[in-house]
Amino acid sequence: MNSRFVVKPELCIGCRTCELACSFAHAKNGRPGRSRIFVLGGGFKDLFVPVTCLQCEEAACAKSCLVNAITRNPETGAMDLDHDKCVRCMACIAACPFGCSLFDEQQELVIKCDLCGGDPACAKFCPTKALEYKPVTVRALRPAI
Amino acid sequence: MVSLTINGKVVRAEEGEYLLAVIRRMGIDVPALCDHAAVEPYGGCRLCMVEITKESWDGWKNYVTACLYPAEQDLIVNTHSEKVIELRTSLLDLFLARNPETPLIQKLAADHGLTKTSFEVVPEPNDCILCGICTRVCDEMGFAAISMVNRGHGREVAPPLNEAPPDCVGCLACAQACPTNYIKFEDIGTTRKIWGREFELLTCEKTGRPTITREFAAFLSKHRDIPEEYFKVNDEAHRDELASTMGRITRWSVQEETK
Repeated sequence: MNSRFVVKPELCIGCRTCELACSFAHAKNGRPGRSRIFVLGGGFKDLFVPVTCLQCEEAACAKSCLVNAITRNPETGAMDLDHDKCVRCMACIAACPFGCSLFDEQQELVIKCDLCGGDPACAKFCPTKALEYKPVTVRALRPAI
Repeated sequence: MVSLTINGKVVRAEEGEYLLAVIRRMGIDVPALCDHAAVEPYGGCRLCMVEITKESWDGWKNYVTACLYPAEQDLIVNTHSEKVIELRTSLLDLFLARNPETPLIQKLAADHGLTKTSFEVVPEPNDCILCGICTRVCDEMGFAAISMVNRGHGREVAPPLNEAPPDCVGCLACAQACPTNYIKFEDIGTTRKIWGREFELLTCEKTGRPTITREFAAFLSKHRDIPEEYFKVNDEAHRDELASTMGRITRWSVQEETK
């Protein structure tokens, strides 16, 4: 895991290109998937916040999955959901404290961000580089408590 | 690693890996009804039957279910030999007698040239193909609320004593995993009915939408160490919370920079 997904809300212009890119990147059998990234209002004027899976260190989705369908992908660092294993009990959807595990009614699948297997489409299409997937150079420090 | 021959092609497989996984990886279409990635193989439907032999077996052949047979060195597998097709066709003939109106069975049977069973159709046919995915998924998740009962033609999936199952938490995994949608459930407002039991769904404090059942939430917070308040808000409201938190942080950091 050498790269991290970086979100900079101050650069987001709310164009929602990332949502489109996500839908088309996850199209299956000619059907676009539901977007796994959401551009929401940040509570201030002209501030947009792209919200997507944070790939938590101690992920509630993986803890809640009773059939171990959600595991850490060692290459990308993403929590990957195995659709063959998933029994659609919706436990992860209810457990995620950030609401980033969701149900796609069109494809009838539980979905979550998988970082497109190491090449996120949303970051590629973001015109202002509010979303980036870049190598980690400086280790993020734990905040002092 | 072992190397074996499947339909004339030499492939490599992990030692102890089941044949069906190797066959699927090669892109060969072998029907299997009781196969589910979340649970252990079961060998219930018998449709993934393949022909196996070895050079050293002197022309002797065996017919095994690929989902339960581990890959072995120098094994020669034939997934579509004449005998295998014949075996599969007669199995589907039996399936058609039990589930004549099930689209999944009808399609598989039609692929093998069968439109009507040569046996007598059961008096009250239903869509249950007895694959056991529902009961095994329930066991795997740690509830074991339903199981197979009776034998022979009376075999069916049922909760204990055909009463509302006390161990069920109403997660719907059995109904969702069912390949023929035989397991019925009802979600009306904030109540959910399955297996003759009624559950109350938790509702989101902000959007008023139902999330999961009270029992399931209690199970997850007790055994999986997830705070119970997580279940009181649905995904949409959770995202809004995250957005406003990130918004406040962004606002604050931008102000700090411009100071």
